[in-house]
Amino acid sequence: MSLLKPFSKLPGLNTANILLVENEEQFQQKLADTVVLQEKTVNVNVRLARSLPLPMENEESRPRIDLVVFIIHLTSELSFQSAETSLKYLDPGYFQGKVCFLVTSARNVSVPPERLVSVRKLAASLHCPLLCAEDQTTEGVTTAAHRLLAILKVAAGLVPMATGLYLSTLTRCTVPSDIDQQNFE
Amino acid sequence: MDDSTKHILQRLMRRIPSQMLQTMLGKWAHLSREDLHSLDFTQPKWVLTEHLLALCEENGLRVKHITELEMIYIIENPNQGMWHGFQLLDAEEDAPSIELTQFKEQFKANLTELISHVSIKIKKHTDEAIWIRVAWGDNFTKPYHLKPTYVVHHLQTPYVFVTGLTSKYKPLLNQTEFCHTGLSSGHKIWLYEGRSPQWTEPHRHQRPSDEAVPTDPNIEKEQAENTENRLQMACEAFGDGTLPQLQKAVYKLETKFRDNSNKTLTGREEPFRGVVEFASTNLLESLRHCVSSGMASTPVTPLLSSITQKGRNYFVITDKGV
Repeated sequence: MSLLKPFSKLPGLNTANILLVENEEQFQQKLADTVVLQEKTVNVNVRLARSLPLPMENEESRPRIDLVVFIIHLTSELSFQSAETSLKYLDPGYFQGKVCFLVTSARNVSVPPERLVSVRKLAASLHCPLLCAEDQTTEGVTTAAHRLLAILKVAAGLVPMATGLYLSTLTRCTVPSDIDQQNFE
Repeated sequence: MDDSTKHILQRLMRRIPSQMLQTMLGKWAHLSREDLHSLDFTQPKWVLTEHLLALCEENGLRVKHITELEMIYIIENPNQGMWHGFQLLDAEEDAPSIELTQFKEQFKANLTELISHVSIKIKKHTDEAIWIRVAWGDNFTKPYHLKPTYVVHHLQTPYVFVTGLTSKYKPLLNQTEFCHTGLSSGHKIWLYEGRSPQWTEPHRHQRPSDEAVPTDPNIEKEQAENTENRLQMACEAFGDGTLPQLQKAVYKLETKFRDNSNKTLTGREEPFRGVVEFASTNLLESLRHCVSSGMASTPVTPLLSSITQKGRNYFVITDKGV
């Protein structure tokens, strides 16, 4: 199986590489443009993919991926399933602070609440942070890019005294035990 | 002018938007130049209507003149109602082409035979199409002009477009039409339902030219080849550029029911009748997007691609195929 490995290549100087995985290929482009524009001090490379595994042809030219972000649109069940199947193609080394889940349309009334619950459970079981983003407005995209950049810089080792593993213990998603009951009392 | 005529004119004036009014009245040519100049088009429409009514009374215009104006308006703006397209079958190869005046007489004669009170207007628009306006009446009542039927027949093609036809008068229209060119009007297949009485020839589309989309060198796509393939297939099936605005595609199913979980319906001899309808504000555009974004599996299934290939949006699906 062609797993994506976190440490098999050498890092670049003052460089951070992020991989955005999204089944619909809509939000990732906007996010990529904003991320690249926002960051001035560090050289950020963004790779876009629809799902894993990544094609073998790019194996040579691909740099070391510091952070893998799975973008899940809660409005589509297919989005979640595609992300789940892609997870199998990641080396376990990634799950120590180099994977992040980004969820859109969490406030949408027409979305079944069970879907967000299952995403939360998935993120919690993998010890990864779960971010919610608003993809329809520019402020939402900018905010999401800002947060991703913060996590990326830590994961790429560019922030002194902080590592991805350390950050992920603080930011990882947790699921309270009564989440299945959905009480509002 | 009697009340009903005035009423028809008022309704028509309300329908025509103010910007087009001047051109329409100019084309109408039933008002003299001085009369046309005397109309002040900057006034509010109801004032204009009163003025126009007065002018029509002066000139002694009658219902048939007013329906001419309506016809001019509809020809210029056919996108108002829903058109149904039909293809006439059994066209004889060497059917003698018939002169327009003869056709007009024959058509009018045939239709008035069936129902005595009809008002028919036939007009040849450019060289390609004949527009027919029919207002239906009863054997006892005068024709009702507020709900006319328009028929467009593109010459040299077996295609006919109809709008505003109720099921009450459908068989009458069927019986009269087009018996002259050897096209049997009894056998029509319903092809198309949309906003314009136009025909776009279905044709196979080429691969779109590679546009240079300016991308940041820092952003790179991993699976660019897949995306390209999908885009190409979408364009092959549905074409590049703007597509005709189709609102629906209807598939009438006459296939056997096949689902292992439902034992009562599977395995019956007679086909399971059903109708699948795809409706959208712009159906072809959304189907093309479905294919290019990967929502629909590629290669494009012939069910969808046959909409553009065969140029129809009404299909009957049997077990043998579309």
